[in-house]
Amino acid sequence: MEKEKIIENLKTIFVKVLEHEEFELNDDLSAGDVSGWDSLSHMLIIGEVEDVFSIKFKFRELNKMKNLGDMITLIGKKINS
Amino acid sequence: MFDTNIMAILLNVIKNQESRNAFCIAKKFYTYGQLAQCISKVRNELQTRTIENKNVGLIENDDLETYASIFALWLEGLAYVPISSDAPIDRNEDVINQSNISVIIDSSKKSKFSNYDLIESSKLTNTTSNLKPNVVSEENLVYIIFTSGTTGKPKGVPITRKNLSAFIKAYEDLNLEITTEDRCLQMFNLTFDLSVVSYLVPLLKGACVYTVPKDEIKYSYVYELLDEDDISVTMMVPSMIQYLRPYFDEMRFPKMKYSLFCGEALNLKLVEEWSECIPNASVINIYGPTENTVVCTEYKYNPKDCLCYNGVLSIGKDIGNTQLIIVDENDKIISNGDKGELCLISDQLMPGYWNNEKKNKEAFFNIEVNGKIERAYRSGDMCFKDKQGFLFYVDRIDFQTKIQGFRVELFEVESHVKDYLGKINAVALAVENRLGNNEIGLVIESKEMDTTDLYDYLKTKMPQYMIPTQLKFEPKFPLNNNGKIDRKTLKNLF
Repeated sequence: MEKEKIIENLKTIFVKVLEHEEFELNDDLSAGDVSGWDSLSHMLIIGEVEDVFSIKFKFRELNKMKNLGDMITLIGKKINS
Repeated sequence: MFDTNIMAILLNVIKNQESRNAFCIAKKFYTYGQLAQCISKVRNELQTRTIENKNVGLIENDDLETYASIFALWLEGLAYVPISSDAPIDRNEDVINQSNISVIIDSSKKSKFSNYDLIESSKLTNTTSNLKPNVVSEENLVYIIFTSGTTGKPKGVPITRKNLSAFIKAYEDLNLEITTEDRCLQMFNLTFDLSVVSYLVPLLKGACVYTVPKDEIKYSYVYELLDEDDISVTMMVPSMIQYLRPYFDEMRFPKMKYSLFCGEALNLKLVEEWSECIPNASVINIYGPTENTVVCTEYKYNPKDCLCYNGVLSIGKDIGNTQLIIVDENDKIISNGDKGELCLISDQLMPGYWNNEKKNKEAFFNIEVNGKIERAYRSGDMCFKDKQGFLFYVDRIDFQTKIQGFRVELFEVESHVKDYLGKINAVALAVENRLGNNEIGLVIESKEMDTTDLYDYLKTKMPQYMIPTQLKFEPKFPLNNNGKIDRKTLKNLF
Protein backbone atom coordinates (compact mmCIF):
# COMPACT_ATOMS: atom_id res chain seq x y z
CA MET A 1 0.00 0.00 0.00
CA GLU A 2 1.24 3.45 -0.86
CA LYS A 3 1.85 6.11 1.70
CA GLU A 4 -0.95 8.28 0.31
CA LYS A 5 -3.41 5.42 0.65
CA ILE A 6 -2.30 4.80 4.25
CA ILE A 7 -2.74 8.47 5.10
CA GLU A 8 -6.17 8.46 3.50
CA ASN A 9 -7.24 5.51 5.65
CA LEU A 10 -5.70 7.11 8.75
CA LYS A 11 -7.62 10.30 8.11
CA THR A 12 -10.91 8.33 8.13
CA ILE A 13 -9.89 6.61 11.38
CA PHE A 14 -8.89 9.85 13.10
CA VAL A 15 -12.11 11.57 12.12
CA LYS A 16 -14.13 8.60 13.33
CA VAL A 17 -12.41 8.39 16.74
CA LEU A 18 -11.81 12.09 17.40
CA GLU A 19 -15.09 13.24 15.85
CA HIS A 20 -13.57 16.33 14.23
CA GLU A 21 -11.39 17.26 11.26
CA GLU A 22 -9.31 20.05 12.69
CA PHE A 23 -5.94 18.54 11.93
CA GLU A 24 -3.56 18.14 9.02
CA LEU A 25 -2.00 14.70 8.79
CA ASN A 26 1.76 15.06 8.28
CA ASP A 27 4.82 13.14 9.44
CA ASP A 28 5.59 15.45 12.38
CA LEU A 29 2.08 15.38 13.82
CA SER A 30 1.96 14.07 17.39
CA ALA A 31 -0.71 13.66 20.06
CA GLY A 32 -0.07 17.08 21.59
CA ASP A 33 -0.95 18.83 18.30
CA VAL A 34 -4.46 17.44 17.97
CA SER A 35 -7.39 18.26 20.21
CA GLY A 36 -8.86 15.14 21.80
CA TRP A 37 -5.89 12.88 20.96
CA ASP A 38 -5.26 11.72 24.52
CA SER A 39 -4.45 8.42 26.24
CA LEU A 40 -7.94 7.08 25.69
CA SER A 41 -8.44 8.04 22.06
CA HIS A 42 -4.87 6.92 21.27
CA MET A 43 -5.71 3.34 22.19
CA LEU A 44 -8.98 3.55 20.28
CA ILE A 45 -7.09 4.86 17.23
CA ILE A 46 -4.59 2.00 17.52
CA GLY A 47 -7.47 -0.50 17.74
CA GLU A 48 -9.07 0.94 14.61
CA VAL A 49 -5.73 0.98 12.76
CA GLU A 50 -5.21 -2.69 13.59
CA ASP A 51 -8.71 -3.54 12.30
CA VAL A 52 -8.60 -1.45 9.14
CA PHE A 53 -5.13 -2.56 8.02
CA SER A 54 -5.52 -6.12 9.42
CA ILE A 55 -2.27 -5.87 11.36
CA LYS A 56 -1.25 -6.33 14.99
CA PHE A 57 1.23 -4.09 16.77
CA LYS A 58 3.56 -5.12 19.52
CA PHE A 59 3.43 -2.89 22.55
CA ARG A 60 7.13 -2.08 22.23
CA GLU A 61 6.50 -0.90 18.69
CA LEU A 62 3.65 1.33 19.82
CA ASN A 63 5.87 2.85 22.44
CA LYS A 64 8.55 3.76 19.92
CA MET A 65 6.02 5.64 17.82
CA LYS A 66 6.60 9.30 18.53
CA ASN A 67 4.68 10.91 15.67
CA LEU A 68 2.48 10.14 12.73
CA GLY A 69 5.47 9.58 10.43
CA ASP A 70 6.58 6.70 12.70
CA MET A 71 3.07 5.28 12.61
CA ILE A 72 2.89 5.41 8.82
CA THR A 73 6.32 3.76 8.43
CA LEU A 74 5.36 1.01 10.86
CA ILE A 75 2.00 0.37 9.18
CA GLY A 76 3.78 0.22 5.81
CA LYS A 77 6.29 -2.28 7.16
CA LYS A 78 3.59 -4.44 8.74
CA ILE A 79 1.30 -4.69 5.72
CA ASN A 80 4.16 -5.46 3.35
CA SER A 81 5.66 -8.20 5.53
CA MET B 1 0.13 12.75 65.22
CA PHE B 2 1.03 14.30 61.89
CA ASP B 3 4.33 15.67 63.26
CA THR B 4 5.52 12.35 64.63
CA ASN B 5 4.29 9.83 62.08
CA ILE B 6 4.72 11.90 58.92
CA MET B 7 6.92 14.98 59.24
CA ALA B 8 9.50 13.59 61.70
CA ILE B 9 9.83 10.39 59.68
CA LEU B 10 10.38 12.24 56.41
CA LEU B 11 12.95 14.56 58.00
CA ASN B 12 14.72 11.53 59.39
CA VAL B 13 14.85 9.89 55.96
CA ILE B 14 16.21 13.12 54.49
CA LYS B 15 18.90 13.30 57.18
CA ASN B 16 19.98 9.68 56.97
CA GLN B 17 20.05 9.15 53.25
CA GLU B 18 20.84 12.44 51.63
CA SER B 19 22.52 10.85 48.64
CA ARG B 20 19.86 8.27 47.82
CA ASN B 21 17.27 8.95 45.14
CA ALA B 22 13.93 10.34 46.20
CA PHE B 23 12.45 10.99 42.76
CA CYS B 24 12.87 9.96 39.16
CA ILE B 25 11.11 12.63 37.10
CA ALA B 26 11.22 12.52 33.29
CA LYS B 27 14.16 10.06 33.49
CA LYS B 28 16.19 12.35 35.77
CA PHE B 29 17.02 11.36 39.34
CA TYR B 30 16.82 13.69 42.36
CA THR B 31 18.27 12.77 45.74
CA TYR B 32 16.72 13.29 49.14
CA GLY B 33 19.37 15.97 49.64
CA GLN B 34 18.14 17.82 46.55
CA LEU B 35 14.55 17.40 47.71
CA ALA B 36 15.47 18.93 51.07
CA GLN B 37 17.24 21.85 49.40
CA CYS B 38 14.22 22.47 47.20
CA ILE B 39 11.82 22.31 50.18
CA SER B 40 13.95 24.90 51.99
CA LYS B 41 14.02 27.36 49.11
CA VAL B 42 10.27 27.22 48.57
CA ARG B 43 9.67 27.56 52.30
CA ASN B 44 11.99 30.54 52.63
CA GLU B 45 10.07 32.27 49.87
CA LEU B 46 6.73 31.35 51.45
CA GLN B 47 7.85 33.03 54.66
CA THR B 48 8.35 36.33 52.85
CA ARG B 49 4.70 36.37 51.70
CA THR B 50 1.59 37.41 53.57
CA ILE B 51 -0.68 34.41 53.59
CA GLU B 52 -4.05 35.57 54.86
CA ASN B 53 -5.62 32.22 54.42
CA LYS B 54 -4.01 28.87 55.20
CA ASN B 55 -4.76 27.52 51.72
CA VAL B 56 -2.14 27.95 49.01
CA GLY B 57 -2.72 27.12 45.37
CA LEU B 58 -0.26 24.63 43.88
CA ILE B 59 -0.09 24.34 40.11
CA GLU B 60 0.52 20.69 39.40
CA ASN B 61 3.60 20.18 37.30
CA ASP B 62 5.71 17.10 37.03
CA ASP B 63 8.86 18.43 38.68
CA LEU B 64 10.78 18.46 41.95
CA GLU B 65 9.63 22.00 42.84
CA THR B 66 5.98 20.98 42.83
CA TYR B 67 6.52 18.01 45.16
CA ALA B 68 8.90 19.99 47.39
CA SER B 69 6.26 22.72 47.68
CA ILE B 70 3.87 20.27 49.34
CA PHE B 71 6.37 19.62 52.14
CA ALA B 72 7.33 23.29 52.42
CA LEU B 73 3.65 24.07 52.98
CA TRP B 74 3.24 21.28 55.53
CA LEU B 75 6.31 22.46 57.47
CA GLU B 76 4.65 25.89 57.63
CA GLY B 77 1.35 24.35 58.77
CA LEU B 78 -0.39 25.28 55.50
CA ALA B 79 -2.48 23.31 53.01
CA TYR B 80 -2.09 22.89 49.26
CA VAL B 81 -4.92 23.13 46.81
CA PRO B 82 -3.81 21.35 43.62
CA ILE B 83 -4.70 23.20 40.44
CA SER B 84 -4.27 21.80 36.97
CA SER B 85 -3.17 24.45 34.51
CA ASP B 86 -4.84 22.40 31.76
CA ALA B 87 -8.26 22.71 33.40
CA PRO B 88 -10.59 25.43 32.10
CA ILE B 89 -9.93 28.90 33.55
CA ASP B 90 -13.52 29.14 34.81
CA ARG B 91 -13.16 25.99 36.83
CA ASN B 92 -9.79 27.01 38.26
CA GLU B 93 -11.09 30.43 39.24
CA ASP B 94 -14.00 28.76 40.96
CA VAL B 95 -11.61 26.53 42.94
CA ILE B 96 -9.37 29.50 43.79
CA ASN B 97 -12.30 31.66 44.91
CA GLN B 98 -14.00 28.90 46.87
CA SER B 99 -10.86 28.13 48.86
CA ASN B 100 -9.94 31.84 49.32
CA ILE B 101 -6.50 31.44 47.80
CA SER B 102 -4.28 34.52 47.54
CA VAL B 103 -0.86 32.90 47.06
CA ILE B 104 -0.14 30.43 44.26
CA ILE B 105 3.01 28.37 43.79
CA ASP B 106 3.74 27.68 40.14
CA SER B 107 6.87 26.07 38.71
CA SER B 108 5.82 26.66 35.08
CA LYS B 109 8.23 28.64 32.93
CA LYS B 110 5.44 30.99 31.96
CA SER B 111 2.70 31.09 34.56
CA LYS B 112 -0.95 31.61 33.68
CA PHE B 113 -1.60 32.88 37.20
CA SER B 114 0.38 36.12 37.28
CA ASN B 115 -2.63 38.07 38.57
CA TYR B 116 -2.24 36.31 41.92
CA ASP B 117 0.53 36.62 44.51
CA LEU B 118 2.75 34.18 42.65
CA ILE B 119 5.71 32.14 43.85
CA GLU B 120 7.62 31.04 40.76
CA SER B 121 9.28 28.07 42.38
CA SER B 122 11.53 27.12 39.46
CA LYS B 123 13.15 30.58 39.53
CA LEU B 124 14.14 30.48 43.20
CA THR B 125 17.81 30.20 44.11
CA ASN B 126 19.16 27.85 46.72
CA THR B 127 19.09 29.03 50.31
CA THR B 128 20.03 27.83 53.75
CA SER B 129 18.28 24.79 55.14
CA ASN B 130 14.86 25.55 56.61
CA LEU B 131 13.30 22.28 57.71
CA LYS B 132 12.11 22.79 61.27
CA PRO B 133 8.35 22.20 61.42
CA ASN B 134 6.06 24.88 62.86
CA VAL B 135 3.93 23.62 65.71
CA VAL B 136 0.31 23.82 64.60
CA SER B 137 -3.03 22.18 65.39
CA GLU B 138 -3.88 18.70 64.15
CA GLU B 139 -7.03 20.28 62.74
CA ASN B 140 -5.00 22.35 60.25
CA LEU B 141 -5.52 21.20 56.69
CA VAL B 142 -2.93 19.40 54.56
CA TYR B 143 -4.81 19.70 51.28
CA ILE B 144 -8.16 20.45 49.69
CA ILE B 145 -9.04 18.40 46.64
CA PHE B 146 -11.96 19.52 44.51
CA THR B 147 -14.17 16.85 43.01
CA SER B 148 -17.09 16.88 40.63
CA GLY B 149 -20.28 18.31 42.15
CA THR B 150 -23.84 17.58 41.03
CA THR B 151 -24.79 21.25 40.68
CA GLY B 152 -22.11 22.11 38.15
CA LYS B 153 -19.77 23.54 40.79
CA PRO B 154 -16.83 21.47 42.04
CA LYS B 155 -16.91 20.71 45.77
CA GLY B 156 -13.90 20.90 48.06
CA VAL B 157 -12.79 17.97 50.20
CA PRO B 158 -10.53 19.33 52.97
CA ILE B 159 -8.24 16.83 54.68
CA THR B 160 -6.70 17.63 58.09
CA ARG B 161 -3.34 16.66 59.57
CA LYS B 162 -5.22 14.29 61.84
CA ASN B 163 -6.95 12.68 58.84
CA LEU B 164 -3.72 12.17 56.90
CA SER B 165 -1.92 10.83 59.93
CA ALA B 166 -4.77 8.35 60.57
CA PHE B 167 -4.51 7.27 56.93
CA ILE B 168 -0.74 6.66 57.13
CA LYS B 169 -1.30 4.58 60.26
CA ALA B 170 -4.13 2.63 58.60
CA TYR B 171 -1.93 1.93 55.57
CA GLU B 172 0.52 0.07 57.78
CA ASP B 173 -2.18 -2.60 58.12
CA LEU B 174 -1.40 -3.64 54.54
CA ASN B 175 1.98 -4.85 55.83
CA LEU B 176 3.81 -3.82 52.69
CA GLU B 177 7.54 -4.27 52.97
CA ILE B 178 8.69 -1.13 51.21
CA THR B 179 12.40 -0.42 51.71
CA THR B 180 14.99 2.09 50.52
CA GLU B 181 15.61 -0.25 47.57
CA ASP B 182 12.08 0.03 46.21
CA ARG B 183 11.06 1.89 43.07
CA CYS B 184 7.47 3.08 43.33
CA LEU B 185 5.14 4.39 40.66
CA GLN B 186 3.34 7.75 41.03
CA MET B 187 1.09 8.05 37.99
CA PHE B 188 -1.66 10.31 39.34
CA ASN B 189 -2.38 13.99 38.93
CA LEU B 190 -2.18 15.84 42.23
CA THR B 191 -5.85 16.73 41.79
CA PHE B 192 -6.57 13.02 42.38
CA ASP B 193 -5.92 11.84 45.93
CA LEU B 194 -4.36 8.53 44.90
CA SER B 195 -1.33 10.73 44.21
CA VAL B 196 -0.97 11.26 47.97
CA VAL B 197 -0.42 7.59 48.75
CA SER B 198 1.76 7.22 45.66
CA TYR B 199 4.29 9.92 46.60
CA LEU B 200 4.03 10.01 50.39
CA VAL B 201 4.27 6.34 51.39
CA PRO B 202 7.48 5.68 49.38
CA LEU B 203 9.16 8.85 50.68
CA LEU B 204 8.41 7.88 54.29
CA LYS B 205 10.22 4.58 53.59
CA GLY B 206 13.17 6.21 51.84
CA ALA B 207 12.23 4.62 48.51
CA CYS B 208 12.33 6.28 45.08
CA VAL B 209 9.19 7.74 43.46
CA TYR B 210 8.88 7.45 39.65
CA THR B 211 6.50 9.99 38.19
CA VAL B 212 4.80 10.22 34.81
CA PRO B 213 5.35 13.41 32.75
CA LYS B 214 2.19 15.25 31.79
CA ASP B 215 2.80 15.30 28.04
CA GLU B 216 3.29 11.53 27.72
CA ILE B 217 0.65 8.96 26.84
CA LYS B 218 0.26 7.61 30.35
CA TYR B 219 0.06 3.85 29.93
CA SER B 220 2.86 3.86 27.35
CA TYR B 221 5.14 5.66 29.76
CA VAL B 222 4.05 3.48 32.68
CA TYR B 223 4.85 0.41 30.60
CA GLU B 224 8.31 1.81 29.86
CA LEU B 225 8.93 2.39 33.57
CA LEU B 226 7.81 -1.12 34.47
CA ASP B 227 9.89 -2.61 31.68
CA GLU B 228 13.09 -0.57 31.88
CA ASP B 229 13.23 0.71 35.46
CA ASP B 230 12.00 -2.44 37.22
CA ILE B 231 9.31 -0.67 39.22
CA SER B 232 8.58 -2.78 42.32
CA VAL B 233 5.47 -1.11 43.76
CA THR B 234 2.55 0.21 41.71
CA MET B 235 -0.76 1.80 42.52
CA MET B 236 -2.96 1.95 39.45
CA VAL B 237 -6.55 2.34 38.43
CA PRO B 238 -7.79 -0.82 36.68
CA SER B 239 -8.43 1.06 33.41
CA MET B 240 -4.65 1.58 33.18
CA ILE B 241 -3.93 -2.12 32.69
CA GLN B 242 -7.12 -2.50 30.68
CA TYR B 243 -5.29 -0.44 28.03
CA LEU B 244 -2.30 -2.77 28.19
CA ARG B 245 -4.46 -5.91 28.20
CA PRO B 246 -4.28 -6.68 24.47
CA TYR B 247 -0.49 -6.82 24.89
CA PHE B 248 -0.22 -8.79 28.14
CA ASP B 249 1.44 -11.73 26.38
CA GLU B 250 4.49 -9.53 25.67
CA MET B 251 4.77 -8.32 29.23
CA ARG B 252 6.67 -9.82 32.11
CA PHE B 253 7.72 -7.85 35.18
CA PRO B 254 9.37 -10.26 37.62
CA LYS B 255 10.70 -7.46 39.85
CA MET B 256 7.23 -6.27 40.79
CA LYS B 257 6.46 -6.89 44.49
CA TYR B 258 3.12 -5.19 44.98
CA SER B 259 0.50 -4.33 42.42
CA LEU B 260 -2.22 -2.29 44.09
CA PHE B 261 -5.50 -1.26 42.50
CA CYS B 262 -7.94 1.40 43.52
CA GLY B 263 -10.44 3.87 42.12
CA GLU B 264 -12.61 1.55 40.05
CA ALA B 265 -14.21 -1.89 40.15
CA LEU B 266 -11.49 -4.52 39.66
CA ASN B 267 -12.46 -7.28 37.30
CA LEU B 268 -11.39 -10.86 38.19
CA LYS B 269 -10.57 -11.88 34.60
CA LEU B 270 -8.36 -8.81 34.24
CA VAL B 271 -6.49 -9.64 37.47
CA GLU B 272 -6.04 -13.26 36.46
CA GLU B 273 -4.44 -12.22 33.18
CA TRP B 274 -2.38 -9.44 34.75
CA SER B 275 -1.04 -11.85 37.39
CA GLU B 276 0.73 -13.79 34.63
CA CYS B 277 2.73 -10.64 33.84
CA ILE B 278 3.78 -10.14 37.46
CA PRO B 279 4.66 -13.65 38.70
CA ASN B 280 6.29 -12.50 41.95
CA ALA B 281 3.86 -9.80 43.03
CA SER B 282 0.94 -9.63 45.43
CA VAL B 283 -2.17 -8.05 43.97
CA ILE B 284 -4.12 -5.93 46.43
CA ASN B 285 -7.46 -4.28 45.81
CA ILE B 286 -8.11 -1.23 47.95
CA TYR B 287 -11.03 1.13 48.27
CA GLY B 288 -11.93 4.47 49.74
CA PRO B 289 -13.60 7.75 48.92
CA THR B 290 -11.55 10.99 48.85
CA GLU B 291 -13.68 12.19 51.78
CA ASN B 292 -12.23 9.44 53.96
CA THR B 293 -8.59 10.23 53.10
CA VAL B 294 -7.45 8.07 50.19
CA VAL B 295 -8.30 4.47 51.17
CA CYS B 296 -9.81 2.49 54.03
CA THR B 297 -10.25 -1.15 52.96
CA GLU B 298 -8.00 -3.84 51.50
CA TYR B 299 -8.44 -7.18 49.81
CA LYS B 300 -5.45 -9.38 49.04
CA TYR B 301 -6.02 -11.35 45.87
CA ASN B 302 -5.60 -15.08 46.24
CA PRO B 303 -5.69 -16.86 42.86
CA LYS B 304 -6.89 -20.12 44.42
CA ASP B 305 -9.78 -18.64 46.35
CA CYS B 306 -10.90 -15.24 45.14
CA LEU B 307 -13.99 -13.54 46.50
CA CYS B 308 -16.02 -11.92 43.74
CA TYR B 309 -19.44 -10.53 42.98
CA ASN B 310 -20.57 -10.13 39.35
CA GLY B 311 -17.00 -10.90 38.31
CA VAL B 312 -15.64 -8.02 40.38
CA LEU B 313 -13.16 -8.51 43.25
CA SER B 314 -14.21 -7.92 46.84
CA ILE B 315 -12.97 -4.68 48.36
CA GLY B 316 -12.19 -6.65 51.51
CA LYS B 317 -12.13 -5.43 55.06
CA ASP B 318 -11.46 -2.20 56.88
CA ILE B 319 -7.96 -1.01 57.71
CA GLY B 320 -6.97 1.39 60.49
CA ASN B 321 -9.78 2.62 62.68
CA THR B 322 -12.40 2.92 59.93
CA GLN B 323 -15.70 1.18 60.65
CA LEU B 324 -17.67 0.06 57.61
CA ILE B 325 -21.41 -0.07 58.14
CA ILE B 326 -24.17 -0.75 55.65
CA VAL B 327 -27.51 0.94 56.15
CA ASP B 328 -30.96 0.79 54.56
CA GLU B 329 -33.05 3.76 53.39
CA ASN B 330 -33.96 4.55 57.00
CA ASP B 331 -30.32 4.63 58.11
CA LYS B 332 -30.74 1.33 60.01
CA ILE B 333 -27.76 -0.99 59.97
CA ILE B 334 -28.65 -4.09 57.97
CA SER B 335 -27.40 -7.63 58.35
CA ASN B 336 -24.65 -9.28 56.35
CA GLY B 337 -25.78 -10.38 52.92
CA ASP B 338 -28.22 -7.51 52.40
CA LYS B 339 -27.44 -4.67 50.06
CA GLY B 340 -27.46 -1.07 51.22
CA GLU B 341 -25.41 2.09 51.28
CA LEU B 342 -21.89 1.83 52.64
CA CYS B 343 -21.24 4.39 55.37
CA LEU B 344 -17.95 5.17 57.04
CA ILE B 345 -16.97 6.11 60.57
CA SER B 346 -13.32 6.99 60.87
CA ASP B 347 -10.56 9.32 62.05
CA GLN B 348 -9.79 9.62 58.33
CA LEU B 349 -13.13 11.30 57.70
CA MET B 350 -12.88 14.91 56.50
CA PRO B 351 -14.34 17.64 58.70
CA GLY B 352 -16.91 18.42 55.97
CA TYR B 353 -17.13 19.77 52.41
CA TRP B 354 -15.50 23.18 52.18
CA ASN B 355 -18.06 25.93 52.87
CA ASN B 356 -20.92 23.71 51.79
CA GLU B 357 -23.36 23.21 54.68
CA LYS B 358 -26.10 21.98 52.40
CA LYS B 359 -23.95 19.14 51.07
CA ASN B 360 -22.70 18.31 54.56
CA LYS B 361 -26.24 17.88 55.86
CA GLU B 362 -26.83 15.34 53.10
CA ALA B 363 -23.54 13.52 53.46
CA PHE B 364 -23.19 13.16 57.23
CA PHE B 365 -25.51 11.74 59.89
CA ASN B 366 -25.28 10.45 63.44
CA ILE B 367 -25.80 6.79 64.14
CA GLU B 368 -25.55 4.58 67.21
CA VAL B 369 -22.98 1.84 66.81
CA ASN B 370 -22.15 -0.46 69.73
CA GLY B 371 -23.88 1.89 72.16
CA LYS B 372 -21.98 4.94 70.95
CA ILE B 373 -23.24 7.83 68.86
CA GLU B 374 -20.91 8.17 65.87
CA ARG B 375 -20.63 10.60 62.97
CA ALA B 376 -20.99 8.65 59.74
CA TYR B 377 -20.44 9.56 56.08
CA ARG B 378 -22.59 8.28 53.24
CA SER B 379 -20.28 6.93 50.54
CA GLY B 380 -22.97 6.75 47.84
CA ASP B 381 -21.72 3.24 47.06
CA MET B 382 -24.18 0.36 47.23
CA CYS B 383 -22.43 -2.58 48.89
CA PHE B 384 -22.99 -5.72 50.92
CA LYS B 385 -20.91 -7.79 53.33
CA ASP B 386 -20.70 -11.56 53.15
CA LYS B 387 -20.89 -13.79 56.23
CA GLN B 388 -17.20 -13.33 56.95
CA GLY B 389 -17.59 -9.58 56.73
CA PHE B 390 -15.89 -9.15 53.35
CA LEU B 391 -17.21 -6.14 51.52
CA PHE B 392 -18.50 -6.16 47.93
CA TYR B 393 -19.24 -3.17 45.75
CA VAL B 394 -22.47 -3.46 43.76
CA ASP B 395 -23.17 -0.11 42.13
CA ARG B 396 -23.49 3.61 42.74
CA ILE B 397 -26.76 4.68 44.32
CA ASP B 398 -26.59 8.00 42.48
CA PHE B 399 -25.40 9.26 39.13
CA GLN B 400 -21.71 9.38 39.76
CA THR B 401 -19.29 7.49 37.57
CA LYS B 402 -15.55 7.00 37.20
CA ILE B 403 -13.61 7.99 34.11
CA GLN B 404 -10.08 6.57 34.35
CA GLY B 405 -10.52 6.74 38.11
CA PHE B 406 -11.70 10.36 38.17
CA ARG B 407 -15.05 10.89 39.82
CA VAL B 408 -17.58 12.45 37.51
CA GLU B 409 -21.09 13.52 38.51
CA LEU B 410 -23.14 12.92 35.38
CA PHE B 411 -25.48 15.68 36.55
CA GLU B 412 -22.59 18.13 36.48
CA VAL B 413 -21.96 17.27 32.83
CA GLU B 414 -25.69 17.51 32.08
CA SER B 415 -26.04 20.82 33.82
CA HIS B 416 -23.33 22.43 31.68
CA VAL B 417 -24.82 20.95 28.51
CA LYS B 418 -28.29 22.21 29.42
CA ASP B 419 -26.94 25.63 30.38
CA TYR B 420 -25.71 25.95 26.85
CA LEU B 421 -28.56 24.30 24.96
CA GLY B 422 -31.29 26.21 26.77
CA LYS B 423 -34.61 24.44 26.23
CA ILE B 424 -33.18 21.30 24.64
CA ASN B 425 -32.91 18.36 27.03
CA ALA B 426 -29.80 16.20 27.36
CA VAL B 427 -28.64 13.20 29.35
CA ALA B 428 -25.09 12.16 30.23
CA LEU B 429 -24.46 8.47 30.73
CA ALA B 430 -21.56 6.20 31.56
CA VAL B 431 -21.02 3.88 28.61
CA GLU B 432 -18.46 1.15 28.06
CA ASN B 433 -16.10 1.45 25.10
CA ARG B 434 -14.53 -1.37 23.10
CA LEU B 435 -11.69 -1.68 25.59
CA GLY B 436 -14.14 -2.19 28.44
CA ASN B 437 -13.41 1.22 29.96
CA ASN B 438 -15.94 3.87 30.91
CA GLU B 439 -16.60 6.85 28.67
CA ILE B 440 -19.18 9.60 28.95
CA GLY B 441 -21.94 9.37 26.39
CA LEU B 442 -24.18 12.33 25.71
CA VAL B 443 -27.70 12.04 24.31
CA ILE B 444 -29.35 15.22 23.09
CA GLU B 445 -33.14 15.33 22.67
CA SER B 446 -33.16 16.66 19.16
CA LYS B 447 -32.62 15.67 15.58
CA GLU B 448 -29.00 15.70 14.53
CA MET B 449 -27.43 19.13 14.95
CA ASP B 450 -24.03 20.81 14.90
CA THR B 451 -22.44 20.58 18.33
CA THR B 452 -19.10 22.30 17.66
CA ASP B 453 -20.05 25.37 19.67
CA LEU B 454 -21.51 23.27 22.47
CA TYR B 455 -18.28 21.29 22.79
CA ASP B 456 -16.18 24.47 22.68
CA TYR B 457 -18.33 25.78 25.54
CA LEU B 458 -18.02 22.54 27.56
CA LYS B 459 -14.24 22.70 27.22
CA THR B 460 -14.27 26.08 28.97
CA LYS B 461 -16.26 24.63 31.87
CA MET B 462 -14.94 21.14 32.57
CA PRO B 463 -11.64 19.26 32.54
CA GLN B 464 -10.93 17.02 29.55
CA TYR B 465 -11.96 13.77 31.26
CA MET B 466 -15.47 15.16 31.84
CA ILE B 467 -16.11 16.08 28.19
CA PRO B 468 -18.47 13.51 26.60
CA THR B 469 -16.59 11.34 24.11
CA GLN B 470 -19.64 9.75 22.49
CA LEU B 471 -22.67 11.55 21.14
CA LYS B 472 -26.17 10.45 20.06
CA PHE B 473 -29.36 12.25 19.13
CA GLU B 474 -32.84 11.08 20.06
CA PRO B 475 -35.80 13.18 18.83
CA LYS B 476 -37.91 12.25 21.89
CA PHE B 477 -36.58 10.78 25.14
CA PRO B 478 -38.31 7.58 26.28
CA LEU B 479 -39.86 7.67 29.75
CA ASN B 480 -40.05 4.86 32.30
CA ASN B 481 -43.09 3.89 34.41
CA ASN B 482 -42.40 6.66 36.91
CA GLY B 483 -42.47 9.23 34.14
CA LYS B 484 -38.72 9.80 34.44
CA ILE B 485 -36.35 9.76 31.50
CA ASP B 486 -35.53 6.14 30.85
CA ARG B 487 -31.76 6.29 31.10
CA LYS B 488 -31.39 2.54 30.63
CA THR B 489 -33.03 2.63 27.20
CA LEU B 490 -30.94 5.64 26.20
CA LYS B 491 -27.83 3.73 27.23
CA ASN B 492 -28.69 1.09 24.63
CA LEU B 493 -28.15 3.71 21.91
CA PHE B 494 -24.42 3.31 22.45
